[in-house]
Amino acid sequence: MSRFWKWTLGIFLGLLVIAFAGLSFMAGSPKDVYGMVRYALPHMHRGKLRVGEDAPDVRLLALDGSNHFHLRERTGSRPLVVIFGSYT
Amino acid sequence: MVKIYNDYKDRADFLTVYVREAHPTDEWQMKSNVKEDVCYAQPKTLEQRVAIANDFVQRQKYPLPFGIDDMNNAADLAYSAWPERLYVIDEHGRIAFAGGMGPFKYDPEEVRAWLVKRFGPVTRTSSTAAPKS
Repeated sequence: MSRFWKWTLGIFLGLLVIAFAGLSFMAGSPKDVYGMVRYALPHMHRGKLRVGEDAPDVRLLALDGSNHFHLRERTGSRPLVVIFGSYT
Repeated sequence: MVKIYNDYKDRADFLTVYVREAHPTDEWQMKSNVKEDVCYAQPKTLEQRVAIANDFVQRQKYPLPFGIDDMNNAADLAYSAWPERLYVIDEHGRIAFAGGMGPFKYDPEEVRAWLVKRFGPVTRTSSTAAPKS
């Protein structure tokens, strides 16, 4: 391998290490960086819904685990605040 | 969010939609989850997701109305919800407020600001503690 490419590869790897170290510092640990890249990034979406657009209707399950309802059944008479999340 | 719910439940409806876990034990578990004993694997069945959702409601004494996303994650995908996000849907079924992607842009006070603008401020104090998400 020529000297130029060795230097290029070395600089690239060095930048990768610095980036990983920086992300580890921000995320908390190297394990958190891995978790973020492996599990979080594929599921994170900026979101395409805009104010004024029709709210998508989706089918949801009640806490009893057997009754279903549609999100849009809860709209109509008053504004509906929707909170998406999970326990963990 | 519970405080906002208690302040405005007479004027607006609320619905919590439970989506796929953000930090399950078999994916990216956070130290805070271990510390707070919130340790669950990513549900592989709807029954498992329902069980965790019920656990959350009982342990946190969460009073808001609740719905659970199917295992095809239709609600999550339609609303780009994961890991957490807030919306307000108006009486005509249109998006009136679309919050930012959590956790860094998840801000319940933006919802409160929307409700204040629509209904005015609430002067009474709320005594119920807010849930984690």
